[in-house]
Parts: sequence; structure tokens; C-alpha cells
Amino acid sequence: MAAVNSRGRMTTLGGIAVALLSLLVVRVWFLQVVNAESMDERAQAIRTRTVRIPPERGRIFDSQGRIVADNERLLTITVDRETVKDDSVRAELFSRLSGPLEMPAEDIEIAFKSLRNDPLADIPLKVGVSEDTALFLRERGEDYPGVDVREDWKRDYLYAPLASHVIGFLGAIRESQLSLYLSLGYEPNELIGQFGVEQTYESELRGTPGYIKYEVDTLGNKLREIAYEPAIPGQDVVLSLDLAYQQFAEQALQTQLKVRQRTEAGKVYLAPGELDPGYAEVNYYKAPAGSVTMMNWATGEIIAMASYPTFDNRWFNAGISGSKFQSLFPNTQDPDQSILVNRAISGRYNLGSSFKPFTAYAALNSGQLPGGSTYRFKDEGTYTLESIDRSLCQQGVKCVFKNAVCSSSGSPCRYGWVDVEAALAVSSDAFFYKIGEQIMTQRNTNDILEQEVRKFGFGSSTGIDLPYEFSGALPSLALKKKLAESGAITEESARGYYVGDNVQFSIGQGLLSATPVQVARAYSVLASGGNVLRPHVVRYLLAPGTPDSKPGYADIENGRIIRDLRTSQVISTVDMSGDRREPILRGLKRVITGPGVTSDYYHKTTGEKLFANYPYEILPIAGKTGTAQGFNNLPWNDSSAFGSFSLALNRPFTVVAYLEKSGYGSQAAAPVAKCMWLAIAGQWRLPEVFPAEPLDVASTAVAKSQSMPNPQCLSTPYTGLRE
Amino acid sequence: MSIPLLNRRPSSGLGNVRESMADPARNIDWILMGCVIALNIFGAFIVYSASRPQLTRLGLDPYSTVQRQIAFLIISAVAMVLTMTIDFQLLRGRAEFLYGATLVLLVLVLIVGAVRGGARLSFDLGFFSVQPAEMAKVTTLLMLAGYLSDDRLDYVPYDTFINSLLIMVAPSVLILLQPDLGSASVLVACAMGVLLVAGVRIKYIVMISLFALISGVVAILSGLVRGYQLDRFKAFINQNSDDDALQNIIFQVKNAKRAVASGGLFGKGYLQGPLTNGSFIPVQKTDFVFSAIAEQFGLIGSGLVLTLFGVILWRIWRTAQMTRSQLGRFICIGAFTMILWQVFQNIGMTLGIMPVTGFALPYVSYGGSHIVAGAVLIGLVQNVHMRRLR
Repeated sequence: MAAVNSRGRMTTLGGIAVALLSLLVVRVWFLQVVNAESMDERAQAIRTRTVRIPPERGRIFDSQGRIVADNERLLTITVDRETVKDDSVRAELFSRLSGPLEMPAEDIEIAFKSLRNDPLADIPLKVGVSEDTALFLRERGEDYPGVDVREDWKRDYLYAPLASHVIGFLGAIRESQLSLYLSLGYEPNELIGQFGVEQTYESELRGTPGYIKYEVDTLGNKLREIAYEPAIPGQDVVLSLDLAYQQFAEQALQTQLKVRQRTEAGKVYLAPGELDPGYAEVNYYKAPAGSVTMMNWATGEIIAMASYPTFDNRWFNAGISGSKFQSLFPNTQDPDQSILVNRAISGRYNLGSSFKPFTAYAALNSGQLPGGSTYRFKDEGTYTLESIDRSLCQQGVKCVFKNAVCSSSGSPCRYGWVDVEAALAVSSDAFFYKIGEQIMTQRNTNDILEQEVRKFGFGSSTGIDLPYEFSGALPSLALKKKLAESGAITEESARGYYVGDNVQFSIGQGLLSATPVQVARAYSVLASGGNVLRPHVVRYLLAPGTPDSKPGYADIENGRIIRDLRTSQVISTVDMSGDRREPILRGLKRVITGPGVTSDYYHKTTGEKLFANYPYEILPIAGKTGTAQGFNNLPWNDSSAFGSFSLALNRPFTVVAYLEKSGYGSQAAAPVAKCMWLAIAGQWRLPEVFPAEPLDVASTAVAKSQSMPNPQCLSTPYTGLRE
Repeated sequence: MSIPLLNRRPSSGLGNVRESMADPARNIDWILMGCVIALNIFGAFIVYSASRPQLTRLGLDPYSTVQRQIAFLIISAVAMVLTMTIDFQLLRGRAEFLYGATLVLLVLVLIVGAVRGGARLSFDLGFFSVQPAEMAKVTTLLMLAGYLSDDRLDYVPYDTFINSLLIMVAPSVLILLQPDLGSASVLVACAMGVLLVAGVRIKYIVMISLFALISGVVAILSGLVRGYQLDRFKAFINQNSDDDALQNIIFQVKNAKRAVASGGLFGKGYLQGPLTNGSFIPVQKTDFVFSAIAEQFGLIGSGLVLTLFGVILWRIWRTAQMTRSQLGRFICIGAFTMILWQVFQNIGMTLGIMPVTGFALPYVSYGGSHIVAGAVLIGLVQNVHMRRLR
């Protein structure tokens, strides 16, 4: 029967239907009940978006609590590129945004189209909007789809350019650093400390980024917040620097360099005695650069560290163009003009006579001088090497070493009978030439002098908490070989380490190179009676969020110290017992106070006149001038060095000034140090420190120049003094 | 022809003498009707939940889509009632005309149809658009059922079978040209169901299947099947593919599955589905509407929807069983297979067990033409049910 067959076939169809529907039911049941949880988790992963919250960078204070580096909250209005892909949608949105952003829609479009926009991130439309604007737009997220507020921080250096070399600046992660910083969890576009304390303490200052996790739709629109982890601000850094001294040091340095640039230097002659045509008849000191370092010899804290040429560290986040930056910080091969060099820690300097105290120590400690401090030597103005055969001397080997020329006689000064104390006081070269020769020739080992001065930290880095420190170099055969390899000296001269090399070494010349901070540390060893300290510019690290005590000042007294860097900074000690330290100290005191020696006539000590009006009874100090040879030997002026330290426990400071190509030690560096000492002694008013004016982006000066309101402290009772 | 339903006087007292057990108006399948209305209403709520987030974000009236859906539902109700009132035997007489008109429209839409997403599917009439492919579902069914029932045989002779195939193939090819693989597949499913019940030999069914398969291969090779249709199939074959071209489809299906899964037993609650609220699933209010149901109402809600479809299919099947008219039976079976195929394919792709093919879930999804076409199909079934005793 037809119908029966038809019904049978319908049953088949019904069966198919039941089978298919059952399949759906089973599948739904499987997805929703059996598999539900794992699918749910994966669903969570895909529809969230994590927005990073940049942490507030730790602030930097000086030792008085002045806020040196602060942060400004920077709110940026951004738009999601996908949301406004469509031209008409974008035009409509921007015209509505122009009101709240207070800028014409065309300008918003220009910002949107800017080629500098990151192709992956949201596009910044306006940087630095007010909190009110940001709040307005946040509350109306529905009306402004894709629009977001990005929070960021802008570094501000309130006292720039003061201490720029020490504080440093922030910069983009360089290509070579990228893999390191990415592995540390940085974003590729983050700013990191690229100089100074900002660089050294990057990991402490940075803080920990937080995040907000949003639920988002396919278009990337935020639907709701599902997780929030606040950013942890970075630790605050308290410097040992005192900006009052820092400012004073910078002012004194810059003023003195300017003074020296206007001072007539001697005429430059060629070897036959003709006037060098490369130099004008009237030759001024070049005085291009220098540094002043003030250090606490009891703790190793750096109180002031000035380096010139200096810069305004606000240039680095001023958003200036590349060409503007090039004109401010020109690429130069001339070391005189290098700006981004902290000369106090990176300067490679001959020390001249300011090195003599350490040669003296080497002689006293190694027993080189028969009778120690009572040993006397007759300084005849020249010293002829005793270990070299006369015939060799006649064949051209340099055997005769002269003292500096005395202006009154026009010939090398003759100081007569001097002991180690007097030799330091008047800076008798001949006395130290002899040490330099005999400490090498009368010993089995050749490197006694090197070994002895290494104890003061010469030849190795001080470990100061600043980047790009130069570790210095001491003359030796190894150094000569290395220099010959790099082409600095000839292969021929590098064949051996000669007596002549050691003689030069003994008066701080030749291949010796050291940084001012090494000198400061070495003088501090003398001052403290043997402690070799690690100099440092940071006193301690404070827990994040140190409150302000008054405008411009942080309440560092009540901050919670996380890491104290004041303690245990002694690296090693130098034996100063017995007859080792006292004769040196007496000599260095005489440099300041006199008296000199009388031989034919009275020879003043190198600092006697300059410090004649120094109130020694208030703050006793000791020091040594140094003149690194240039003039008449090398085609530039002498560089001027002065190392000094106080003899008072209540003001345990060391001051080292080094002015490049500026003249004798007593002419350029010592006056700067004298100003510092007068200020430390309370006899000179430190100019008040005011926060800097906002950076003038149109300015062509890399740093606002500083000069002393009252440069009187630089002056000497009368001129004409020699080293 | 009078319209009995409209002429019917209200019952009063002992009753209207014109009323009899066979009065069509007294033989409406209210269970079927109820299920369809339930799905329609439920669907409107779901359409609102799935369209609201995007509208809100675009700053538009969140109700605008659901308002249109309600308008369509009203139109579809009118269409259904009209269909019910006209005796299906009379409709049989108009089948050739309707079928021919459909073919003309299908050709026209290829020429002047509105382009959307690279396909010409519809005539844009301003306020709404009309998809002739949806119309073809009804008219092809009428034509096929009418043709097969003319012979009054319990089997299908070979020439009848071939002619039946041609009736189905003509609109199918035109629809494929749009291209609209989904709608074409509905016609094929419809024809297979009707032919099966009409008594076609199994080897003919195998032939149709082979034909479908071969034409599918040919379509792919000849480039008739566009890239994205191929991609949908590829994405189905390899649901974890890394191929960039497939990511949109894979993403769509993955999120749909996640939405279903995250619904769990009881669902996240109405308007509480994060994936739905996040507009994570493209064309959710039409093709992927089931994911919105499953996420918000969980197994309970999706089970209810499947049950309603089950009941609808059962009632249609029952009507096919009960009717004495072969034409009526074939109409019911055609409607049955079409609805079955659409439900299975649509929900199946949401659940990841079928490849993605763009068509709506009957009675639930947002849309104009398919809602009306679906209502007309139910109207036809009711028509048969109402007049089954004749």
C-alpha cells in the first residue's frame, strides 16, 4: 500500500531528524557542562587587554632635602587607531573632541597623522591635558569611543644645570641595551637613566609598573575593569651632594676659567727659540675645562662635584629636534669641548706636583730616605741621574732634570738643603727626581713607587657610584706596551721601562694619569690617617613616596631608609704609623701657611701668598699645588691642579680642583679651592640656591653660565707667585 | 474564494451551525503555532541582547534593531495568516507562476541586487531589503511538491526524478551564483527530503548526493565558489590553523564556542554575557544567534530552544503523517527538511561541528526575508493541518 510505504520512509526521515537533533544536544551538553571550565578560562584570556601603568620614578634629593629631580604627571589623550579607521567616523569624533581638548579638529587630525606616532600603540592626540579634561573624557567613555587617557611621568630637574653630570638624565634604551632591558621587563619605548645617578641607580629609581586589566570587545573598546595592580613608585635617592656647595663650586670653577681665559700666558717658542707662528704674540690661557671635587674624607661622601663644560639635563626631555640637539651637543673630537663627560671622574690627567705627597710616602714607607724625615738633600736646581753612565748622557739620553724656573732669577730654582717637609712645601722637583731614580735603581724590584702609590688608590677605579669612571693608569712596562699598541707612544720608547720614566712618575708627570676623584680619595687617605674610602654621591635610598616638608624640600629626616650607603665604605687602609704621615702633613701645611726656605733668598711656598689672608686658625688645612706640564713642552698651556684637605675633625673635607690648560697650580686651581675652603670655614657666604627658570627651548646655550656674585675669594694678595 | 477564517462568526450559545470538525479554522495546530511564537518572542529578546552592545557603542538607539525585528515579525504574522487562509490546493495552481517569478527575481538580483560583502543577495527597498533566495525556498517547495504529487504514485519514476532535480537545480544554481551556498544547500536538503518520502530509489538519492559532491568540486575548481567560502571550509577542517586568511573565521567560531561554553548550565543571565556584550562574535544577531542564547541562558536556554525546534519538527512530521493529501504531505516534508537542515547547520556551525555557512536560525535570528519565509512555511504546514480532514 502506497501510504504504508510512504509512512515507512517518513519514519526514516524522522529518524534522521532525531539523530541530527540528538547530535546537537550532545554537543551542547559537552560544551556547556563537560568542557565548560576550560573553555571559560581561554575565553577570559582572549578578551582582556592589559594597560600598563608607568610607575613614578623615585625622586632625587640633595643632602639638605632639596628636590633635585621631581616628576610631573603627564596626561595624554589618545585614540585607538582601529576605532577611527573610517574617515567620517574620525572627523565626527574629532569635531566633538575639539571642545574638551581646546584645539581645532584640524589640529587633532594633524596630531593623528603625525609620522612620529608609534604604529602599534594608541595615537596621542594631545599631551599634557589637565586633570579635569582627563576626568571629563574618562567619565564619558561611551560618548568618545576609542578615546583614552594615558598617564605618564615627565622628569623635571628643578635646579638644572646644577650637578647635571652627577644627577644625569633619562634617555631612550639604546639598540645595544635593548635585549638586557627587555629581559628586565622594560618596554622598548621606556626611558631609562643614561647618565649620572639616574643611570647608576636605575633599578632602584625605576619602581615597578602596575597594570589595569580590562575586558575589551573585538574592537578593543574597554568594557570594564577586571584587575588592577597599582604601580609602585621607585625609591627616592638622597644625594650626599649639598647644592649650596655644588652651586658655589660650579660658580667658582666657571668664573675662574673665564678669568684664566683673559689672562696672558707666556709666549710659545719653538725648539730653536723662535716664536711659534701657530700662537699669537699675546697668548691667552685656553682654560677650556675643569672640575672641582669636594669630598668628606671621613665618609667618602661627595659634597660637590662640578665639571665644566656642563649642560642643562632638561634638554634630554625637552622634545627638541635632532638638529637642535646636534647644535647644543656637537659631535667633537676635541676633548676640550666634550660636554657629556664628568671630568671629575673621567678626566685623564697628569697630576704634576700634586702627586708628590704620595711619592714622599713611598720613599718614607719603603725606607728609601736614610733617616726618614730627617734626611736632607741639597737642591741645586737640577738633578743629574746617578745611575746612568756619563757617556750615555753625552749620547743623548736625558740625564739632567731641572726644577721649574724661578721668575726672579730666570733660571731653575735652587732651594738648597731641603728635607721631605720643605721639599713638599716649596715643591722641590730635584728632591723627588732623586727619589724617583733611586727608588728604582737601589731596589731589587723596579716597581716600588707604583706599588706604594697603588695603596692610595691610584691606578684603579674608586668605585664611585657614577658611570663612565676612568680607572687611571700608572707608568709601567705593561702600560707602555699597551700605549704603544694603541699608537699613543712609539714602539721604540715602549721597549723598556726606564729610569727616566720613573723620574717623571715621581713628580706626577709622564705616563701617570689619574682622575680628580682619585686625587680626592688619595688626599683623603692622608687626611684620615690611612683609610682608603669608596667615594660616593648617594647617601641613602628612601622608601618610595617621601613627603615634602616644605615647598621644594623633601622630608628626608623622616623617610624610611632602605639602603644606607654611609656605612662601611673603607676599602683598605694604608699604614700611616710612625714617621710616615707627619712629615708629609707638615709639608702640606707649610704649603698653605709657609714658611718657605731661604737659599740665596727667601723662596715662598707655593700657596703661601694665595692663602695669606686665609683664616687658618678657624679651619686648618693642608694642600699641594700641581702643574701638569704643557707650556714649552707640549703645544698647550699647563694644567693646574690643587689637592687639599682640612685638619679638623668637625669639618672633614677634601677639595680637589683641576683646571685644564689654565696655568700653574697656584694660579688657577688653588684659588678655586681657596674659595671653597673659605666657604667651608664659614668665612664666605654661600650664595643662596634657587630653583632654575624653566628651560628656554629657543636658547642656544647648552647650559646657563654661572658666575660668582662676589669673585673676591679667587684673588691673591699680589700676582707673580710661582709654583 | 471566501476567506473562512475572516468570515467566521464568533461562537455563541450552542454554536455556529457552520462549524464542523472539518472547519479549517478549528484545526489550527496551536502547539506548532505556540512553539513558533515562543521562538519568535525569545528570538526578539536575544536579538536585542546581541545587537545592543554595538549600537550603544556607536551611540545609536539600542532598541533600533529589535524594533525592526518586531516589525518583521508582525509582517511575518500577516504573511503566515494569509498563507493559512488560501487553500494549499489552490496554491498548487499558482505554483508554476510563483516558481517562474522566483527564477526571474533570482536572475534580476544577480544584475541589480545590492552588493553586500561581495555578494548580491537582496533587493534594497529602502526601509528593508528582500532576498529572493528566501522566497525560492517556499516557491521551489510548492513547485516540487506539486509536480511530484501530480502523478499520485508511491514511487518516483526516473523521468519524474530528473525533472524534480531540474526544478531544484535551476534556482539552486542561480542562488549559488549570488553566491549564497547556505540557501542553495537548503533547497538541496528540501528536495532530498521530499524525494525520499515521495519514494525515490535509494540509488537516485545516492545520485543526488554524488551530483552535489561533484558540483561542489566543480564549483571550487571553476572558481564559482569564492575564496571565503573555501576558507570557511578549510577553517572547519583545521580549526586550529595558523593561516592568517582563516583567522577571522576561526576567531568567530572559537568565540562562538567559548560563548556557548561559558554559559554553562544556567548561563550568565540575560544581558550579562561578556562575549555577547563585547561584540566578540561577528554577525551574532543573525548567523551566530545561538551563541548569544547559550551564553546568557546556558544549557537550560539552549535546551529549551532545541526542544522547541524538536516539537516544531514533530508537529510538522505529524501533520505530514495525518494528511490524506499527497501534496500536503510533500509540502510538510519539504518544510520539515528545510527547517531541520537550517537548524542543524546553523547550530552545528556555532558549536563547531559544521563549517560556517551564512544563514540564519529560523524564527530566532534577526532578519526580514528569512523570518517571513519561515512564517510562510509554517503557514503552509498549518494550511495542510487545517485541511487535513478533507
